[in-house]
Amino acid sequence: MSEVKLMDYREVVGPDIVEELMILAAHVGERSIKMVNSTKVGGGVAEMLHRTVPLLNELGITTTWDVIEGDEPFFEITKAFHNALQGKEGEFTKKQLETYLEYNRANFERMSFDEDLIVIHDPQPAAMISFMENRKNSWVWRCHIDMSHPNRGLWEFMRPYVEQYDAAIFSSALFSPVLSIPQYRFFPAIDPLVDKNRDLDENYVSSVFEKYGIPRDKPVVTQVSRYDPWKDPVGVVRAFKMARRYTDCRLLLVGDKAADDPESDTILEIVREEAGDDPDIHILIFSPSIATEINAFQRGSDVVLQKSLREGFALTVSEALWKKRPVIGGAVGGIPVQIINGHTGLLVHSVEGASLAIRTLLGRSPYAKELAENGRQRVKDEFLVTKNLKRYLLLCLGLDRKGFETTFLE
Amino acid sequence: MAKVFQFMSSASLEMLTGRTASNVSELEEMIVTCSESSVFYHTFSALLKMREAQAPYNSDFSAWVAENLHAPALAEKLTAVDFSEYRTVEDLRNRLLEIIRTYREEQAEASRRSCYEPFYLHDVRRFVYLTDKFAYDLASFRELLPTISIYSVYFHFIESRLSANLDCNDFSEWIEETLGLPDLASRIRRIDISVYTIEGLRQRIIDVVDDYLEKMPAEEDRNGGRA
Repeated sequence: MSEVKLMDYREVVGPDIVEELMILAAHVGERSIKMVNSTKVGGGVAEMLHRTVPLLNELGITTTWDVIEGDEPFFEITKAFHNALQGKEGEFTKKQLETYLEYNRANFERMSFDEDLIVIHDPQPAAMISFMENRKNSWVWRCHIDMSHPNRGLWEFMRPYVEQYDAAIFSSALFSPVLSIPQYRFFPAIDPLVDKNRDLDENYVSSVFEKYGIPRDKPVVTQVSRYDPWKDPVGVVRAFKMARRYTDCRLLLVGDKAADDPESDTILEIVREEAGDDPDIHILIFSPSIATEINAFQRGSDVVLQKSLREGFALTVSEALWKKRPVIGGAVGGIPVQIINGHTGLLVHSVEGASLAIRTLLGRSPYAKELAENGRQRVKDEFLVTKNLKRYLLLCLGLDRKGFETTFLE
Repeated sequence: MAKVFQFMSSASLEMLTGRTASNVSELEEMIVTCSESSVFYHTFSALLKMREAQAPYNSDFSAWVAENLHAPALAEKLTAVDFSEYRTVEDLRNRLLEIIRTYREEQAEASRRSCYEPFYLHDVRRFVYLTDKFAYDLASFRELLPTISIYSVYFHFIESRLSANLDCNDFSEWIEETLGLPDLASRIRRIDISVYTIEGLRQRIIDVVDDYLEKMPAEEDRNGGRA
């Protein structure tokens, strides 16, 4: 991953965008940032930091990345925190809260915080700020989870810590709670140069379909998603069957399955039952998936679905739009931000709606193509890593200034 | 020597306010009380994004009214507002309010209708900066047009009127005042932003300039057009 340079993005987003990043970075000047999160590998946050940190350094912003340490009891508590802040009911014991704070203190004492800007990602290290005395630098909390309806008890405990920050960043207005500090919006972003998204040779795409025994003799409708009830794979199978009464096509379901997740076994069983022995329905299970193969499935599909019933941001939508695929998405979570209905894709609210959308996109290919073109442009404008870099540069500039008047940078 | 044109650009840091509106009357209240920068964000900034995605709206307000309030007449009226006619955000805010108030008077029943998803008010910290691109004459201006960002095109064609309190876009102003080419300035001024993406707008300006250069009278050529 580290071989990719800022200049490599010129070909993807255009030289003008990279040039303007360099101009903004020059206005930021000599500045240092420290990112802190809970893991170096796995998950979207780590994936994003692996790319953002070196690119910010290339732009002249000295950026480091530190990871908090903890053991099983701590991460069990923070996993429960994560779920509770996303709305799961339940109570935490005094002992659990104390353990959380003890680990935050231990990590605080182990790290240094001399940088101009400290960006703390997610709840795991969020309380570290409380141990900082005589703070002179800026601290910002970057929350990647949906905090729109946090568990009340836990939020009463967390809120005083969060409000010690200079600002918080959320992925969407839908995900943010009421806070006394300024809140910024940073959309999550995809990287167009990683294996999951980079351009692929058509021969490779064909070879992947061949490898998994999926003929491309008719249009392919695909959903790439975990086998999880909220991604509604059963609804996808039903919508596909309804659509196929009018238009011949295949359905491809591609999903990860955690080895120790009994819920995904159950849902997979229901999906298989719904699919029956239909030869046009292909169910693939990866554990874990291979990024270039997922990329190939998306690129080789005629329509991509993300028919979720509940969602976080659903960057799989941006991934498919970036590949100029016509996309159908459930109108939940961050999907409507990416899909402007009828212009960058189609939003649906039901199995019937999804079925009709499949028929529309397969039957009206010029329209599908137009949506796909617009969708790619929307991703280019808002959901690429380069836009994320721009947001960090603007954050550095914005934290220096009070008020909302336009700033002329000289 | 003619005044050099240094291209500028702008960028926005988006902020969340926690404020929402769920019907037309709450939207009106929101537009009355929100900051000028919020109005700017939901109109001028939104137009740029929607043009690029070819969405048929010009503001977050009109998109929300159409998609969530299902009030197509109000959405159409809001979309028909031409931002390039407004030299201050306050003027634009007043025009939006006028449209909403008239709608409420005429459609009292529909005004009480609640939405599917609320409107989330954002605010913005906006930054304007110089780029390292300079035009010295019409030929160098033409040469640089394909290389500037869409944000720069948008800034000069739409946004800059607000800071400079201009009647027209920066390009036309410079071409008329500095290069002394009023006919070309006028042709660029007449380009309709509502029908083009920003890329399309850029191309349209290029086409107009190319056409002019091709037919340019020799006298003008010596004075301003070509180096």
